[in-house]
Amino acid sequence: MSDMKFTGSKQYVASPELMAAVDVARTLEKPLLIKGEPGTGKTMLAEAISQAFGMKLFIWNIKSTTKAQDGLYVYDTIQRLYDSQFGEEGVDDIARYIKLGKLGEAFKSEEQVILLIDEIDKADIEFPNDLLWELDKMEFYIHETKETVRAKTRPIVIITSNAEKELPDAFLRRCIFHYISFPEKEEMEEIVNVHFEHMDENLLKHAMDTFYWIRSIKEVRKKPSTSELIDWLNALMVGGMEPETLREKLPYLGVLIKKDEDIETVKKRRI
Amino acid sequence: MFTDFLYVCRDKGLKISMTEWITFMDALDRGLAKSSLEGMYNLGRMILVKTESDYDKFDIAFMEYFKNIHAEEQLPADILKFLDKGEMDTSKLNKDIYSFDRQVDMNETKRMFRERVTEQKEEHNGGNYWIGTSGGSAFGHDGRNPGGLRVSGQTGMRSAFQVMGERKYADFRHDKTLDIRQFQVAFRKLRQFSARLDVAKTELDLDKTIDSTCNNGGYLQLEFDKPRKNSVKLLLLFDCGGTMMPFAEMCNDLFQAVHKANHFKDVKTYYFHNCIYSKVYKDAECEYGNWIDLDDLFRHTDKDYKVIIVGDAQMAPEELFDINGNYRGPNDGRSGYEWNKMFREKYKKAVWLNPRFHGKLNSLAWMESERTLGEIYDMYPLTVDGLKEAITKLMAPR
Repeated sequence: MSDMKFTGSKQYVASPELMAAVDVARTLEKPLLIKGEPGTGKTMLAEAISQAFGMKLFIWNIKSTTKAQDGLYVYDTIQRLYDSQFGEEGVDDIARYIKLGKLGEAFKSEEQVILLIDEIDKADIEFPNDLLWELDKMEFYIHETKETVRAKTRPIVIITSNAEKELPDAFLRRCIFHYISFPEKEEMEEIVNVHFEHMDENLLKHAMDTFYWIRSIKEVRKKPSTSELIDWLNALMVGGMEPETLREKLPYLGVLIKKDEDIETVKKRRI
Repeated sequence: MFTDFLYVCRDKGLKISMTEWITFMDALDRGLAKSSLEGMYNLGRMILVKTESDYDKFDIAFMEYFKNIHAEEQLPADILKFLDKGEMDTSKLNKDIYSFDRQVDMNETKRMFRERVTEQKEEHNGGNYWIGTSGGSAFGHDGRNPGGLRVSGQTGMRSAFQVMGERKYADFRHDKTLDIRQFQVAFRKLRQFSARLDVAKTELDLDKTIDSTCNNGGYLQLEFDKPRKNSVKLLLLFDCGGTMMPFAEMCNDLFQAVHKANHFKDVKTYYFHNCIYSKVYKDAECEYGNWIDLDDLFRHTDKDYKVIIVGDAQMAPEELFDINGNYRGPNDGRSGYEWNKMFREKYKKAVWLNPRFHGKLNSLAWMESERTLGEIYDMYPLTVDGLKEAITKLMAPR
């Protein structure tokens, strides 16, 4: 197992620092916390790792209402109450009403798996603290059935954050941290090549120039990211535009920029 | 090992805990730094630093602690050439020469290294003195001297220092003036949940309902609770005077952040020119007549509104103290100073964010207006840290 090394995947281009971070997190058995601009592929990383290592991926999407308990297990008391009132069978078996969450499922798995806790900053500010024990010890206790769920093999835990909320220090101390910065031009070309097999070089060059030019305009509030570039290139390929006129005509700009005022700004600047 | 480095880091303001340091030591033990400076840099950063805004501090600390290694990098080309031959099989080597117990002094090592570079004329592999591979000498690669200097081989010395030298994370520093996202994050803190306040119980409380139902012998009994909603009301005032022109974009960012935050119960925005007088303008153009009376504003908003004023507080003393000081509109019988006093008395929670904040320096004569307004309002610089402090002040119970 120790000879396994993460080197990116067919669909995912990882920087050497990121690959090193994945390896360190795995070796030290600590969660890997990934932060970065939207569209830098934080979520895709977990999928890429899962493919590269051939491990199953469990995704726990965090919402503003998510509680730590949801990831462990839910005791469906209402169902049990109903069942009891209608005299269903098996009401005395509490285990029937215990539903494991994503974390629970990942712990119960026979093989080592990848657990992605996506956008942890969406939840309440105290949420990460509630998971400290579970992520440290990789176990939790189900009070209702007096059962301890313990991970047979420690899952590789990937956590992403958009920095909407600050994460608690106690939680951060336990993580390996990596910040994905926005890709430089060369790196971006590599990423684009992963997504498109036959990309006209001339088109790509002009599209990239235009893309980085738009990103360089200070007044643009919401800078286009990788995923928007990919969409735009798709549109350009389907639309069959003259590469040389891209900068001037700015076709399908709406794909790249989502805000009216930004579109105005870019159009004003184009010559 | 490297304990001094911990203190250099802490000196630079990185709050590294014991847990993290021990993790780092553990990682080094396991060879995760790949015996290169670049590996060490990456490893240290991913374990010891937990936010991109501290990357820059780490860069500086790392550079300070390891900078001297940098200087020894220039080697005669022929020595580099033979060192480049590749790694040797270390299993062939005698194990007991691994036991080194003498303390190695970095400066001593470096001095010796310099001497050795000038002395050495040929290839050495496996010895204990010269620069070479697989030996016990303090210099070379694939050797066993724990206090030695790595020379060439799979070193990352150069690139690590190049990355740090660029200081490309300097933009993420918290004390740098902020962008819209950072504003937004800061505004998240400006919350006060109404659960503690006096509102009707309109939300179903499931837990209590279950408890009551159980107590009730299984017959459903509904329980309600107060909804959790942010009850913070915000009043924003922007200075649109000429001296604020350089900060127009930043003010715009702040404005956008507040409106995107949309977790406030109410947000009102008004504008003023240099100083608050009897009227505030409805938009940033500050056109003559397009205003509302401050008295009207006082009537429309209750004292619970939290007020954020953004301005550089720079004006001539007469603009602030003369009862005819407003050169763009009426004074209505009071000086700017008095209007501001009245304003402050109405709103218990009011802060002033100043993009040109001088802090303690404002004792200089020409900063009289900043000093005076700073006495009326709590004044903070318009930076991430400044905004955080201001918000803490706004949320403080007293």
